Amino acid sequence: MKFEKITLEKKYHDAVEHWRRHYLKDYDSLLENWEKYFPEDEPFCLCAKLELGTPETVPVGEHAGEKKRLKPDQLTEEEAKHLLAIIRAQASTEFGSIQQHSGTLERAQDDEDRFWVLRVMAEELRHGYQMFHLLLSQDWTHVSGGVKGEEMVEEILSMQTGSHVLDAFNLEYDSFVDNIVFAALIDRVGKYQLTMQKACAYKPMADSMPPMLREEAFHLAAGVIPMRRWARRAAEGSPLIHMGMIQKSINKWFPRGLEMFGDERGGESNVRMGFKDMKNRQAQDLYIEEVRRMVRDINARFLRARFPEYTPDKVDQALEELEKSRGTHRGVAFDELLRLPDRRFFRRKGEPAFSMVGFEGEEFTDVEAYLRHVADHLPEAYLASRDLKNYFEVLRQVAAGKLTVAEGIMKMPKLKRVGGNCPCSRAVRWVMEEPAAPAGGRPAA
Amino acid sequence: MPDLKTAVRIRPLDELDIGGIVRIDERISGSHRPDFWESRVMYYLRRDPQSSQVAEADGKLVGFMLGDVRAGEFGLEEPSGWIERFGIDPEFRGRDLGRAMFNAIAAHFRELGTTRIRTLAAQSDAVTGFLTRLGFQPAPLVALEMRVPGASQEKQ
Repeated sequence: MKFEKITLEKKYHDAVEHWRRHYLKDYDSLLENWEKYFPEDEPFCLCAKLELGTPETVPVGEHAGEKKRLKPDQLTEEEAKHLLAIIRAQASTEFGSIQQHSGTLERAQDDEDRFWVLRVMAEELRHGYQMFHLLLSQDWTHVSGGVKGEEMVEEILSMQTGSHVLDAFNLEYDSFVDNIVFAALIDRVGKYQLTMQKACAYKPMADSMPPMLREEAFHLAAGVIPMRRWARRAAEGSPLIHMGMIQKSINKWFPRGLEMFGDERGGESNVRMGFKDMKNRQAQDLYIEEVRRMVRDINARFLRARFPEYTPDKVDQALEELEKSRGTHRGVAFDELLRLPDRRFFRRKGEPAFSMVGFEGEEFTDVEAYLRHVADHLPEAYLASRDLKNYFEVLRQVAAGKLTVAEGIMKMPKLKRVGGNCPCSRAVRWVMEEPAAPAGGRPAA
Repeated sequence: MPDLKTAVRIRPLDELDIGGIVRIDERISGSHRPDFWESRVMYYLRRDPQSSQVAEADGKLVGFMLGDVRAGEFGLEEPSGWIERFGIDPEFRGRDLGRAMFNAIAAHFRELGTTRIRTLAAQSDAVTGFLTRLGFQPAPLVALEMRVPGASQEKQ
């Protein structure tokens, strides 16, 4: 773990600090309590970290075996444009997740959970800072349409929940359950993206990944361990948490997590250009298996807490019986356990976008019946959201043939910045984009 | 008894290994300690996931070795790699999994620039033989202990 620490030029560093004062209000409290919750760990550093001693050659794609690129102008124009989009999207997600976490952070039942999430937020800030370093340390204007690094930074810092690049970062949290499930599911997608980008043909990007990945390991644990503890409490009969609450939050986030991999049919250019070492579907398949493993682990924790006299083998046996019979085991119903939704459930991007596939993989033909099914599986507080209302409206239009799937995707509204640089100006409003021209089929991008 | 030909994969620790570690510990010690392992795994993950390695056979955890690099303790200023906890599923013993996990950790410690690996074990402990076979030797440091003056016997 030898890495170089880099601080941004003062005006950019100050801009991130200014943003932090708006969205990470408990930052000082985190630093004051660092020793208590994270004894022996290095103090937090708001800086970019570039790993030293990483591979010098491109491992995949049409440049495999060649020396990794050190500057954007060593990439072709197409490659540089593509990479710039990846960096901007990555930066947007880092800042976006902090905004999401901040809304419900104070509702944590346990101080330890709260401080774990606070550390996650601080480290996401550092990851955003890392991406800013990539945007600012080189000139990208030849592929950004003349937009300078500082303008890109300004744009990203002015984004709010609703205007980020990826959908998962445009949903508000309904409760602290979302903070935890998000860390377990959405940060896990982040782990896959960062792992794939370790191969990146642009060396500063590849060198940024190992320090981020080490921090991401903590983020995943900050999601999974509270979920394990909640499963225990639920099994012991706590009235404050039950498995249904966790399940509904999984149903909200898992589809958005799948969409973060990009369309299932895509990812070819990332591999060809040497920016990632897996295509979208391949990475998504591995992710699904990993989440399945997580769900099984939490279910096992639940059953063991309910039946403390069981051996680990007996817990496995009970779990298998329940999965097979879908009935009950000594009073525990199959429905009390966590389950993974079908990968096509509640999707609005990618191959199954706007298909009406239910939680169990069952297909619906009646749109209203499907919408009731989706609503039954989501957290109650989320039902009242604008995001869901718009999804429902667009799905009705797609089902009625009034919109193609591609148009449906375009119809999903986003918050857009309409002026002002400071996030406190709240200079955004809801904007519904009209498709430029009718498009057939589903997008492959 | 598992098939001895089952391929075993050595990889860094992750947060989904907690259940498997709890299971192995329970098989060895007879105690079910999920809370303890949740807390310990979180510690090792936030320090450095690659300093801890696990062995996996057919997707099931069959061994773990948890380590860390620290400096400044006991007057040891140089960063040292510490091997602190390990366990092998009794059904998978005798397959050199401990050595395989140790080799992966030692390689990582080397990358980090550490030159010493340290651990503590009871002299009568069966693991001392395993550690000796790995190359550990008695250190010039002596482990000392005493009862806290005034502490009751029951709390020992």
